[in-house]
Amino acid sequence: MTFMKATSVALLAISVAGCDVPKQNKTVDNFIDSKDLSQLKAGIWVDPNGCDHWIIDDGVEGYLSARIDQNGKPVCSGIAEPNTATGAYKSGSPIADVI
Amino acid sequence: MMSKNLLKIVAMAALGASVASAGFAGSANTVSNARYVPTIWVDPDGCEHWVMDDGAEGYMTPHVTRDGIPVCQRGNTCAVMNSDQLFAVDKWHVSAANRTRLKAFFRDSGASVYLIDGHTDSDASDAYNMRLSKNRAMAIASIAKSAGVKAQARWYGERVPAASNNTRVGKSKNRRVEIQCIR
Repeated sequence: MTFMKATSVALLAISVAGCDVPKQNKTVDNFIDSKDLSQLKAGIWVDPNGCDHWIIDDGVEGYLSARIDQNGKPVCSGIAEPNTATGAYKSGSPIADVI
Repeated sequence: MMSKNLLKIVAMAALGASVASAGFAGSANTVSNARYVPTIWVDPDGCEHWVMDDGAEGYMTPHVTRDGIPVCQRGNTCAVMNSDQLFAVDKWHVSAANRTRLKAFFRDSGASVYLIDGHTDSDASDAYNMRLSKNRAMAIASIAKSAGVKAQARWYGERVPAASNNTRVGKSKNRRVEIQCIR
């Protein structure tokens, strides 16, 4: 991302987020990629024990939550190697990662 | 020369600024009872997570009941097999015919992983039933693996009944192997 782009994103973020500061409504993303949080797109991150976690890179925000089955036990699916991430979990936002 | 009143105002303004900055620094480091109301994100398996967007930070954690049971909008159970049709009493050997049927099931169901959950009725001790359900779940999981699919065995003994253990029919329903098909 160029400096100009980063600056314009930052300025836009300030202007958009300006409506709700400090942010009271934690259930929506008010950034350029604004949405209700129910629409997040997840991939799978496999922890060092081989168990799955939902991983979401939503532009500026990152989310991680355990994948557990209906009985509460971890799902260790073996669909990927430990310490790897798989899936289109970066696809939910047009905001590219700066680093 | 500054008037007394002006001096007072300047002093108050300076004090105000220092109090405000101290207050800001304090609130940046420590919050108390800050309002964080989450919304719900449903994962691809159908289970709920608490999610919050705090501006530049995102937070997420599974939605579970106070008993530790996840809140799911749907389950992934794709088969419930009655233990009486798979195993002899107190045994976990699977006959060749059942082995063939099970392999066909695992090959055709198309899940990315199968979770094999063993359950028993409430006859005999808790420890005995945990052991029996473990051996049965592991027997089915090894058949799944021999069919070339991924499987994970779990066991609950008599602790997660599907029906009442006070009736003969209920007990029969509790003797089961449940299979979850995770896509």
